[in-house]
Formats: sequence, C-alpha cells, structure tokens
Amino acid sequence: MSVITPTTVLKRRSDVRYRLIEGEAVVLRQSAAEVLVLNEVGASVLELADGERSVGDWIDALAAEYEGDSTALARDVLAFAAELAEAGLLEPG
Amino acid sequence: MSFGDGFLRFPDLFPGRRGGEPWGDRTVAVDVAGGPYLFTGLSAAQAAAVRDRFAGLCRDASEAAATAMVATQVFRAPAADFLDRDVRGWEYTLDMEHAPSAVSLAGLRLMARLDWGPHLAGGLWTCEEAGEEWSASVFENFLRVLAAYRLLAEEGAVIHSAGVTGGESAFLLLGPSGAGKTTVSRLCLARGAAVLSDDLNAVRLGDGGARLQKLPFTGDLGDRGSLGDAPASVPLRALLRLAKGPEERLRPLSPAAALAGLVAAAPFVNRDPWRREALLGVLERLARAVPAYELTFSLAGDPWAILQSISP
Amino acid sequence: MSLSRVIATAWRENLLFSVLVELTYRCNLDCFFCYNDLGLKGEPLTREEYFRLFAELREMEVLNLTLTGGEPLAHPDFLVLGARARELGFVVRVKSNGHALRGELARRVRDEVDPFLIEVSLHGATAVTHDRQTRVPGSFDRLLANLRELRELGLRVKLNSTLTAWNEGEIEGMFAVADSLGLPLQVDPEVTPRDDGGREPLQVTASREGVLRLFRLQFERGRAAQGGQVEVQVARGGDDGTLPTPVDKHCGAGSSGLAIDPYGNVYPCVQWRRPVGNLHRQGLREIWRGSAGLAEVRDLTVEVKERLAVQGAGGHLLNFCPGSAAIQAGTPFELYPAAVQRRELLEQVMAEEESGRKKKTSLPIVR
Repeated sequence: MSVITPTTVLKRRSDVRYRLIEGEAVVLRQSAAEVLVLNEVGASVLELADGERSVGDWIDALAAEYEGDSTALARDVLAFAAELAEAGLLEPG
Repeated sequence: MSFGDGFLRFPDLFPGRRGGEPWGDRTVAVDVAGGPYLFTGLSAAQAAAVRDRFAGLCRDASEAAATAMVATQVFRAPAADFLDRDVRGWEYTLDMEHAPSAVSLAGLRLMARLDWGPHLAGGLWTCEEAGEEWSASVFENFLRVLAAYRLLAEEGAVIHSAGVTGGESAFLLLGPSGAGKTTVSRLCLARGAAVLSDDLNAVRLGDGGARLQKLPFTGDLGDRGSLGDAPASVPLRALLRLAKGPEERLRPLSPAAALAGLVAAAPFVNRDPWRREALLGVLERLARAVPAYELTFSLAGDPWAILQSISP
Repeated sequence: MSLSRVIATAWRENLLFSVLVELTYRCNLDCFFCYNDLGLKGEPLTREEYFRLFAELREMEVLNLTLTGGEPLAHPDFLVLGARARELGFVVRVKSNGHALRGELARRVRDEVDPFLIEVSLHGATAVTHDRQTRVPGSFDRLLANLRELRELGLRVKLNSTLTAWNEGEIEGMFAVADSLGLPLQVDPEVTPRDDGGREPLQVTASREGVLRLFRLQFERGRAAQGGQVEVQVARGGDDGTLPTPVDKHCGAGSSGLAIDPYGNVYPCVQWRRPVGNLHRQGLREIWRGSAGLAEVRDLTVEVKERLAVQGAGGHLLNFCPGSAAIQAGTPFELYPAAVQRRELLEQVMAEEESGRKKKTSLPIVR
C-alpha cells in the first residue's frame, strides 16, 4: 500500500469485527481468525475509518477530543493508520 | 425427484423431529375411528375452526387426553417453506417417505411426520400466511393419513370406498375413482338407505366380526347435501367390488379377489414397505370374515335392492 | 495490551461479551442425545423483537453472537437475522448440523450472513455410527459432501463432536475424517442431560476407557502439532471456548455471557438453564442490570471458584460447569461424576506424558 497522507481515505475491511471495551477495541479479523487489542487512539482510528472521511479528518476529529501536542497526534494517527493497514484492518476507501 | 421436491422450497429443512413454533396453546380432541386424536399447539382461531368442521365429533380436550392414543403437535411454518403450485385439473397426491419408525409427508402447504417412538405420535407444520392460518384441506389430508396408520394398530384400516347402510348392517363398495361409488351411493340414498361416506370409510375387526365406521370425509355426495342418517358404526355384511354393465348382477368373489380389491383401496399404507405386512394381515382377516361379491350396476337399476338381497 | 486483560476487565465489570441465541427448536435431524427441551412452551420471539435485541446488544458492545437451535437455518428468518447481525458488526458463529448447508442456501449464508465460523456436528467416523445418532439415514454422507462444498465456498468451518458409547471406538477415525477435510475437530467427552433434566441422553455416556483413549489421542495430536511441549486446552472459557477464565469468578456465566431460548427466556449460559428474565417482558439491558437471578448467579460463580480452590492445583482439570451441576445434581456446587472422572483421567494421561518425557531424557548415551 502506498504512503498514507492526510488526504488518504481508508475504511475498515469488510471482515473486521470490533467492539469497544473500556476505551480499548477488541478486534477480530475474520478471514485470518486473528484477534487484536487496540488502545484508545487505535480504537478511535478504527471507528473513524468509514471510507468517507480522510485521515486528515480523523486528525481534526481527534484533536478536538484530545488536548496536547497536535503535531504529535497527527504523527501518531498517521502511524496508526499505516499500522492498521499493514495489519489488514484497513484498506483504501 | 426426491422427497418434497415438488412441494417444498427447502426439502433439506424438512423437520426431522416434532419441534418448532406452535400456533398457540389450544388443544382439540377429534373423536373419529381410531381416536380420540389430540391436536395440540393450536391457536384459538384454529381450535374453533376444527370444532366447527368436525361438529359433534370434538371432545373436551382434558377428558380426551386421558384416553387419546395419538397426539399431534401442530406448528407454524413460514409461507416461504412452501412452493406455489397450481393443482387444478390434476389429482394431488401427498409425497411420502417411509422409514422403519417414521413416515414423512409433504404436500400443498403441508409438512407432517408420523413417528413411532414406540407409540404413534404426529407432527404437523402448516402455513403461516395471512388467511391461511386454518386450512381445512391441510388438516383433513393429514387426518386421513393419521387415521389410516392409527387404525392399523387396532385391527383396522381406512378404505377408499362407499359405505351404505339400512341401519342394521352395512355394505362396503370398492372401486377406483370413477368406478361408481358416488353414483351407487346416490342410487341407494334415493331408495331410503343412508351413506356413511362415499369416499373413505374405516373397517374394524373385532370379536363380533367386522364393522364399518363412519369417517368425516366425503366425496361429491357429501358436498351436495345430506347423506341420510347413518349410525357411526355398523356391522359389515358384505364387500362389493363395483363394475358397470348393461345388466345388474351379483357374483361371488373369492377371498383372494376380495383381498386384492381391498389392498388396492387402502390408501397411504399400501405404499409403505415397512407397514404393508401389517396391513395385509388386517385385510386378509377381513376378506375371510366377510363375504365378497362383484356388483354390476346400471344407472337405471336398483343396486340397493340387490344389496339387501344378500343374506346376513 | 493483551486480550486476556481486556476480557478480565469485562468479567470484573460485568460487561456482556458473548450471547448465544437458540432461534428455534425445529430441526431437520433427530439426534438421540439432543439437549433441547422440546416440551418447553412459550411465545416465540418475533423478527422485530430479535432486531431490538440485536440493537441492544450492539449498544452494549457485545462482540460474539452465536446462532443455534435446534437447527438455526430452519428458523424462517435465519438469513434476515443473520444479515442484521452482520450489519451490526457482530462476530457471528452459526451452530448447524450442516444437513441443509449446500447449494443455494449455503451460498446465501456466505453472501448474506458471512459468518466468522460455522460449527458443525460430527457424530462418528462412519455412516452407521453417525446416522445412528442423528436418526436420519444418509445424514453422514450428506454431511461429508456438504463440508466439501462449504470449503469450496470459502466458509470457515469447525467440527464439534461429543464422545459417546457409540462412537468411542472410532475416535481416531473421526480425527482422520476431519484431517482429510482439513477441518479442526473439537471433541467433548461429556454427554449432558436434557435441559428439562431428562437423563435419556446419559444412556450413551462413553466408557472410562473411551474417555482415556480420547485424552491420550488429544495429547498425542497436540504433541505432534507443536513438535514438543503440549498445552492442552482443558479449561472452559465461555460459550465459544476461546476466552480465558475470569480472575475472581469460576466462569463468565451471567457476567460476560448469556444464552437466550426461542421463547425469549434469558439464561446465564447455554448450560445453566436457570431463567433470569424474559425478553417479552423486559429489554436485555434491563435484565442485565436489574435481574436478581443474574446477580445471584454472579455471586454463585464467585463462590464456585472459592469452593474449587480447595481442590488444589488440579481443580481446573475438572472442567467443572455449575450449570451442568445444577441440572445433574440440583445444586451448582456439586461435583458430578463426569467432572471427577475427567480430572482423574487427565491426571493419569498427564502423568503418562510426564513419565514418557522422562524416559526419553534418561536414555543411556551409547558410545
């Protein structure tokens, strides 16, 4: 997959199932029968990946929720998006 | 064609046991030959419709439950389970599958099973379409088969036949469709006889000989009006195989010929390899117990007079 | 950030995670040992009630939804409900006898429900044995053909079996059948009574030797698969068996899992048939929060854990199920015979494994 930028649009793959438990996400990738647990930011990213909003939109949405260094947040989100795409949870929207 | 193919959308999902969603919690007991037959799981509307259709033959369920030998659980099945078929103009026969201790039935808007475990019990799945909650024909089609199997255990059988009586004894008229059962019944009625049924009758063997029992299933004659006032159960005087001809005639038949006629006229069970032997046993005993004749009748004649001439 | 820790949180906080739904007691087979209570009366849940239930479960962040019965495919709304479950993002498991899973129906299940897993029952290695259990002639041959078709369709399938007196002699053959199909086979050594307490199924309980043979085989296969140390999953962990046990409770019954029958009755677990509410009268969340019966069950699972602690290190080998105990012995605390035997036999097999290993390492070195 090509480099993820703020304009990239990603969505959850169709075989991904997840739920939020105490802020974390328990995720099952059905096709691989793999279970992952994501922290709060990862869970948020997964939720936001609806195939309509871009990664940049996610950063904006999360920046509104979380205080602190917005540059660091942007970097985290981009890194997470790449990781989740790598893990097979996200695909181009 | 495998079982249920013509009637069911998902023959693979045909019930393997008596389980599912009942229509309601009502019970009705129908007291006909071999009964009382208990039907459980009915809705209030269905219970009322059964009582209506079998007026006079329905017993109080709680009282009947003690003596009922056969209970049938009735379940709902979605309309999607059944295929739409236009059966106008052709004779509709139920699809049946026979196993050592079960019989499966599929038909129009009908799935049913009879299970011996070890005693006979029934399961009936009827269609869940608005307005189809109660279908007299579905219920009756099932009850005919149920009665046929139930009577087997009681030295009896259901026979495609006309039963006519003068009150003290009765005559069983055999013949395939078109042989003249309804015609002869009508001719006898006109002469003062009563008709138990022009389509289906039950024969019972007992210590006192053979008896004919009325079943609440009639052919064309029943639709048109009164059958006279036949008692529910009458001693059987003779078996008659019907034949058409220019001259009326009565000719004795051997027990073997009588047996052949009876087997051909005993629906449902005569196709069942697992219970045919039992049926043959009953019919053979019947053929030996009751004299048999071939009755050639004519439309201008008086078959009732001929029947009455047969000495008891 | 481990799954176990998240799940442990779920149990501690009583967060519902897995729900098993018996859609109907109609079935196209007639298994001798079926545990369904066919005499149970009640008003079946309507399609709308199921939709409402699923919506509530989604709000409660329930992940696992298992559809079973009877035969779930025989429920008139199976595809519609399955599709809704998929839409709502549940991990859907379908427990089916597989008898009707072929052709168009199988394709529709894949396309419209897209289940995570289909769990199918295997009762023997031969038609004689399998059909003896199902009481439908031809069911074994049909099952094998259907399993091949399901694999070609890309559906994920797992085989479940219960060890019985009828199939204990062909357990190796059953694993061979599973292997030839490329499917995992999970074998439960315990036959349970019917949900109404009826003990007829226990007539086919496997012999002690049969259970021993099974355990030895499972260890052997585990060793072969992992090329050495084997860790055999012996602890019960919830309806789907994939979850570890909670910290302060013996199991997740009523605290992370629930079961629902076709008439809306809610139970702590498919095995523990103590109704704690009914969906015709209350929503699920209301039952989850307010049911006195459920609160009691949660306390009971704590007490069970405490009582089992006195059993020592081998306590988990009992694979004790309070629900089973309640049905078999009338109380959720009593150690029923199958549990006692299971521990004995597992300890025996584990000792055999241990001495086997020791034997290997103490072989004299030949110079």
